[in-house]
Amino acid sequence: MMPGEGIYPLPEGHLNWVFGLLEVLEDHGGREDGYKISRDLNFKFDDLLRVMKIAEILGFVTTPTGDVVLEPLGKRFLESDVNQRKLIIGEQLRRHGLFNYFIRLLRAQPDRSLSKEVVLEHLAILLPNEKPEKMFNTMVTWGRFAELFGYSKDEDRFYLDQDTPQPPQP
Amino acid sequence: MALLELSHISKSYPHAKGSLSVIDDVSFAISEGEFIAIVGPSGCGKSTLLRIINGIVPQSSGQVLYNGRQIDGINLECALVFQSFALMPWLTVEDNVEMPLEARGVPPEVRRKRISFYIDKVGLDGFEEAYPRELSGGMKQRVGLARALAAEPRVLLMDEPFSALDALTAITLREELLDIWRLPDSPVHTILMVTHIIEEAIELADRIMVMGAHPGRLIADLKVDLPRPRDRRAEGFNVYADKVFSLIEERS
Repeated sequence: MMPGEGIYPLPEGHLNWVFGLLEVLEDHGGREDGYKISRDLNFKFDDLLRVMKIAEILGFVTTPTGDVVLEPLGKRFLESDVNQRKLIIGEQLRRHGLFNYFIRLLRAQPDRSLSKEVVLEHLAILLPNEKPEKMFNTMVTWGRFAELFGYSKDEDRFYLDQDTPQPPQP
Repeated sequence: MALLELSHISKSYPHAKGSLSVIDDVSFAISEGEFIAIVGPSGCGKSTLLRIINGIVPQSSGQVLYNGRQIDGINLECALVFQSFALMPWLTVEDNVEMPLEARGVPPEVRRKRISFYIDKVGLDGFEEAYPRELSGGMKQRVGLARALAAEPRVLLMDEPFSALDALTAITLREELLDIWRLPDSPVHTILMVTHIIEEAIELADRIMVMGAHPGRLIADLKVDLPRPRDRRAEGFNVYADKVFSLIEERS
C-alpha cells in the first residue's frame, strides 16, 4: 500500500455519540432527518453531522439526502453487549485506511510500539491538511475502545494491543 | 423489610435569624431491586438528601435506617457517582478505580480482580492506563461508575450523573446503566438517582420522589407504571411528564 492511498482523516467525535445516535434511530423506527434529531436533542448540527459521518464510516448507518438510516450492522450493534460492541468496532476500524496503516506499521516494529512523536510525523505526511495531534487523540481513543491500540503517556509508547489480529490486505 | 429507610429526616443550618431549614421531615423507604429517582427544582435539598443517606452530611433530626439498623457515619454499603465525576487527575483510570478499594482495606489480589471485572463491565477495557484529561465526559463518567461499582455497594447513589454530558452521550450512558442494573452478576440492584431532568427520571425509575423547595420536602411518591424499555414518545410517557411538571409547579 502506498502511503496516503485510501487514507482518510477521522472526524473528530466521540464513539459515545454514535451509540446514542443509534439508540435515537431505533426509537424513531430506523430512519430520521438529521436536522430534526439535532433540533429535538438540542445537539449542535455541526456535531451531529460529524456523528453521522463516524457512524457511516463504521457501517452502522447510511445518510441519503440528509436522513440517517439504521443499517443491519447498526441494529446488530445495538443488540450486542459491550464486549461484542468492541469487537464490531475493532473489525470496522481495521478496514479504515488510517488504522490499517498504523497496525501494519506497529507490526513492523521489533517491540510493536512507536513514540508519539513518530506517530505524529507519520500523520503529518499521511494527512497534511489535518492537525496531527487531534488525529492522534481520536485514533488513541477509538483504538483503546476497540482494543486495537494502547497508549501510555508515562512511557510515551503507542503500541499494538496484544490481541490485534492481522489487518485485512488492501 | 426495607433495605433503606428515611424516617423524618430534617436538615437545617444556623442562620442570622435562627436557623435555615433546607430539608423538612422527609420519610420514604426503598426495597432491594428498586430504581428510585428524586426530582425537584434547585434548592429542594435533593443532593443534600443523597449525602445524608451516604453519611457525608449529618441530618439535624430523623433517622436513616439500613437493613433496619441506624447508620452512624459513612454507610459503606452505599457508593456515590457525582455529576463532576470527581476523578483524581494524577491517577490513571485503573488507579482511580482502585483508590477507594485501597481505602476500604480490600486486599490487593481481590482489588486486581474487581478492577478488571468492573472496568470490563462499563466498557473501559483498553483505557486502563489513560489519564482523566485524555478522556471525554462520557468516558470519565464510566470511570466514576466503575469506581462506585468496584466497591460492590448494595445501593448505588447517583447525583445528577448525566447532567454534565451532551444529549447523545447521556442517552448512551443511561442505556448502559439500565443494562448494569439488570445484569444478574451486577453487585448492585438498588439505585437512588437525583436528577432535575424529569424525562430522565421517568425513563429510568420504578418510583419518582417529587420534592418541593424552600424548604425541601417530599410532595409525591409516584410509581412509574410503564413497560420497559421506555419510549419517550409514547403517550403514557407524556402523561407522567405532565403530572410531575404540574406537581412541581403547584408547590413552588
